[in-house]
Amino acid sequence: MIVSERKPLAEIRRMIAPYQRLLTLGCGTCATVCGAGGEREVSFLNSALRVAQAKSGNETHTLSEYTVKRQCDLEFLDPLVEKVGDIDAILALSCGIGMQVIAERFPDMPVLPGVNTSFMGAVDEYGVWDERCAACGDCRLEETGGICPITRCTKGILNGPCAGTKDGKCEVSKDMDCGWILIYKRLEGLGQLEKMRRYYPPRNFRTIPRPKRIISQANIDTGEDND
Amino acid sequence: MYSAVTDNTQQNQGNRTKKSSTDHSLMPPCQATCPLHMDIREYVDLVAQGKIMEALQVIRDDNPFPSICAYVCDYPCEDTCRRCQVDKPVAIRMLKRFAVEFGGDRMIQVKAETTHRERVAIVGSGPAGLSVAYYLRKLGYPVTVFEADSKPGGMLRVGIPEYRLPPKIIDTEIQRLIQMGVEIKVNTRVVSLDRLFDMGYQAVFVAIGAHQGRKLRIPGADLDDTWTAVSFLRNARLKQKGNIGEKVVVLGGGNVAFDCARTARRSGAKEMHIACLEPRDEMLADAPEIEQAEEEGIVIHPSRTFTRIIDKDGHVAGVECLKLRSMEFDKEGKLHLDIIEGSEHSLAADTVIFAIGQCPDLNLFSGLSGLEVTKQGTIVIDQATLSTHHPGIFAGGDVVTGTASVTQALATGREAAFRINDYLQHRYPLAGKEAEENPLGDLFPETVETIRKTERLEPSILPTEARVKSFEAVELVYDWEAATEEARRCLHCGTGAEILFQDKCATCLACLRVCPYHVPYLDDSGTIQIPADQCQACGICVAECPAKAIVLRKPYGRQQISEELDHIVKAAAQLNLKPLIIGFCCQYGLSGTGTLASLRRGAKAGIWIVPVLCAAKVEAEQLLYAFEMGAEGVFVAGCGEQCARENIAFWVRQHVEKVRKTLAQIGLEPERLEAFNLSATDEEPVKALNSFTEKIGELCFASVITQEVKR
Amino acid sequence: MTNSLFEEKLQSDEFLVTTEIGPPKGTDNSEMVEHIDLLKDKVDAINITDHQSSVMRFPSIGGCLLVKEHGGEPILQITCRDRNRLAIQAELLLAYSRGIGNVLCLTGDSIDVGDHKEAKPVFDLDSVQLLRMIRTMESGTDIGGNELKGAPKFCLGASVHPEADFIEPQLIKFDKKIAAGAQFFQTQSIFDLDSFRRFIQYAAQFDVKILAGIIVLASARMAQFMNNNVPGIMVPQAIIDELSSVEKGKVLQKGIEIAVRLIKTIKEENLCHGIHIMAVGRERIVPDILEAAELVRVSPK
Repeated sequence: MIVSERKPLAEIRRMIAPYQRLLTLGCGTCATVCGAGGEREVSFLNSALRVAQAKSGNETHTLSEYTVKRQCDLEFLDPLVEKVGDIDAILALSCGIGMQVIAERFPDMPVLPGVNTSFMGAVDEYGVWDERCAACGDCRLEETGGICPITRCTKGILNGPCAGTKDGKCEVSKDMDCGWILIYKRLEGLGQLEKMRRYYPPRNFRTIPRPKRIISQANIDTGEDND
Repeated sequence: MYSAVTDNTQQNQGNRTKKSSTDHSLMPPCQATCPLHMDIREYVDLVAQGKIMEALQVIRDDNPFPSICAYVCDYPCEDTCRRCQVDKPVAIRMLKRFAVEFGGDRMIQVKAETTHRERVAIVGSGPAGLSVAYYLRKLGYPVTVFEADSKPGGMLRVGIPEYRLPPKIIDTEIQRLIQMGVEIKVNTRVVSLDRLFDMGYQAVFVAIGAHQGRKLRIPGADLDDTWTAVSFLRNARLKQKGNIGEKVVVLGGGNVAFDCARTARRSGAKEMHIACLEPRDEMLADAPEIEQAEEEGIVIHPSRTFTRIIDKDGHVAGVECLKLRSMEFDKEGKLHLDIIEGSEHSLAADTVIFAIGQCPDLNLFSGLSGLEVTKQGTIVIDQATLSTHHPGIFAGGDVVTGTASVTQALATGREAAFRINDYLQHRYPLAGKEAEENPLGDLFPETVETIRKTERLEPSILPTEARVKSFEAVELVYDWEAATEEARRCLHCGTGAEILFQDKCATCLACLRVCPYHVPYLDDSGTIQIPADQCQACGICVAECPAKAIVLRKPYGRQQISEELDHIVKAAAQLNLKPLIIGFCCQYGLSGTGTLASLRRGAKAGIWIVPVLCAAKVEAEQLLYAFEMGAEGVFVAGCGEQCARENIAFWVRQHVEKVRKTLAQIGLEPERLEAFNLSATDEEPVKALNSFTEKIGELCFASVITQEVKR
Repeated sequence: MTNSLFEEKLQSDEFLVTTEIGPPKGTDNSEMVEHIDLLKDKVDAINITDHQSSVMRFPSIGGCLLVKEHGGEPILQITCRDRNRLAIQAELLLAYSRGIGNVLCLTGDSIDVGDHKEAKPVFDLDSVQLLRMIRTMESGTDIGGNELKGAPKFCLGASVHPEADFIEPQLIKFDKKIAAGAQFFQTQSIFDLDSFRRFIQYAAQFDVKILAGIIVLASARMAQFMNNNVPGIMVPQAIIDELSSVEKGKVLQKGIEIAVRLIKTIKEENLCHGIHIMAVGRERIVPDILEAAELVRVSPK
């Protein structure tokens, strides 16, 4: 899941300042799951903006709200067609993908990011998410016992732990597990420590050139794509 | 305000829809077991909220004589209460009695207008007859009740001892019926049903009960000092002189046997014994009944069979008994006894009472053709129409079922009223739908484990010395605090969370993760399920669901809170009180114990209270919304220690912290939002609240936000 | 052809002494030069740290050049934190061309512990890959496989943490560093000789030189602080207690005493091939330590 986090209110208020009529747009998929941009957060944010507006006394935004199932596909944005006429900007509570799809769908409509797209991750416990994948395009989880050194090690190094590990934790924070200790324990459990003894050469950062694009095999076969 | 009762009853016939439950498959077992299918869950919840008048109204919707039920119902609901799985059942009957007495049932007047010409005669003024009279009258029929005795009430008056049902309770109900326009003719024995039709009645309801006591067919059973329970109790109740001896032996192990023994105790007997077939732990009487009887000095002799009443000069001298190893009824209902050889012995007695059952006395109607009678002497009816084979003659109560509970009689009476209505209006008789409804199943052991155990508060009873001296009611009613406390033990079966908007559900599993009872689960297709029969209706998932896809089946929700808020803001604007402080206060316990009221009184002006059903149900948005609506200070008050749940404070803090953080980001002092734990017992809440109010006042004064935070 | 004098000493049976100097934050090098002059003849080589603890400073290579100018033997510290493989290779070419012969290959502390927490952590390589890359360059091609016009040659060192609480993965990495070309190891600071002996027992199978890292503690509070904030340091409670036991003003003396005690034992027991003294900003006291530990060179080079 793509994990995002709401931006500080002050930043949002700065962004919306030039626009009178705003639509706060939630996303019913990842942003809902990570509690950053579901229907609940949309109305909470609008309410917070209204309190802030009342406090400052000199803002008069009109805030409306709507949540689509998924912002990252054009088709889901169709219900907005009749709404965009009445608004000056969309405050999107979705990941950067959703925001850009909105921008593509409504060329004349300013899109403001209400959240920061943080990482791809999984839930640890309720309300706590951890990064799990960096989308490096060169998955090596087979070598590391299913634990990603790129995301779980603060340095993303490939040949074992640095000397900063203490009590199984990372030098950066006592609350953060050392990814390499986790990998070691897991490989030891799997009886595959030889994988850790192997030398891993420097990463290939050019697995897919940026901006990355994937063209599915099916399209090539049917000749729909001229590559 | 009770005129609504009349209206509801009109709609209730046929399909008696419950206001609260939207799904009939979610009928709580208490309601399903109740012969009257009373909305127990609803009125218990209202008691918990301290809404006693409303509770009574719910009770009256389904029960013609709640005061009577409150004393004598055999409460099968408590046997099926799902709290039995956790600890002990909710004390439903005593809560009803509390609602009836504290809600002022005596004062309620029920209005009835005559809207039909067809007259209905009711033979017998026992619970079934009076119930029919009540409902037919409410349906608009002229009704006449014929009673052979000098006072109406039937078994209520002559079969149940006064210490269990004070006569004034019956009198009140009779008075209410008379006010409704029911004609009651006492001292009038109906000898011919045909005659009633001649007199112009178009339907007759026969509810003459089962007043014919039975005796064992053993030698000596017809001696002078032997009684049937019916005649003994009747004698005692009508204060007719009886020749009760000093040593009384009651044969039988049901509640009636105990009624006899305890009545004998109060009538001056010196020694009271109860002897019965059943072993001690299988006796049919209710446990408290047995316990109280023993306290009153009644000796119980279980596992006996009786061979003869000892005759000494034409007087009773004792009962000859044999001890039993075991007893059982076979499939045909035939009794098999395993007698211990050589265990012959006798119980000395000068009075023997047979409490072994009773049957209707149908000799009265011997002249009427078409009235089919069973071997047991009861009237045969069509179960769907409650009609005898004679058109226009209906029957119900003990005369049809044999000895049964008062509540069953009331239920039959209500049903009969609707069927008689069908008959008179030439409608196809459609029975109520309750029979088709499946009550909720058992709680899973995993769920049971997570539910907080709470002690059942037993009502006080009169001390033994006091109660044996007179026929005063033995049970005392709860006080206000005990009642609300006990009512909060209800598990709210079937009112829990449901995913109302499946399309919105992002399957984020928030509900699964936050549920303190581990109820939601992912099914094999990857859809989240919240089993209604396990959900404890705490509302935490509702307040957490990021997609707002979950609602509680009970219509207490965000909308209600928002409406309340809007109302407050309007009212506050009119009064122009500053600072405006809005408090979300748990209605459970707080209100019941008067804490909420004392908050309103004791706290300084400007505090407006939004009552909520559990503080954890207050969502973060609602707290923020209060500020949006112009509140300068907001607080959430939970009920503290007395909470029926474990983890409410945690979730309240979560919501409060989220909003506090946002307030800080806006530039408002986070201290403007506070969470209190208001406990019923101490005086602190008012103090804490006052200091909060002062603080808000200072904040407003210090930072001129008062003028700015408004809309 | 190697520029390293230190490499020759590694071949000998001499008990080696290295120390390290942290460059200044700014352009004023006077103090660093002072330290270089003070120490250059008393030790076998001087490490110049590379933005130690991720705190931005004058570069290691700049410090190494100064050591060189003043007649000392520098060890260039290179971490992978701040430069990608292009920048590191370029720096190595520069270093070699200016006569620097020793490189200590480190992964580098995390950006988060330093004074530029918002900076991009590079870590294009790790320490093992860095060692390999240098060996590749020595063979005449850069890491991209392109031919070099003139290849460098270095004496390569690395770091190891003998007292890590989870030692096995550290040892795996130690093996990998040796396989990648490390010739000597300057260990993380050691305190517990028992665990150090265990490590030495293991390391004995390899043809590498181990220099025990000795840190000089100036106060109990400093020890406590390093335990909490400096990656790879674990000062045992007994040492902290020992530091707290003496009166104010004599704590540094106590710290020196502890360091000397360690050094003497290591030397007496012939545990390893030398020591690496980390004075952490108190480079001035290094000669005192050496004197107390009877490690003063009779005929300085």
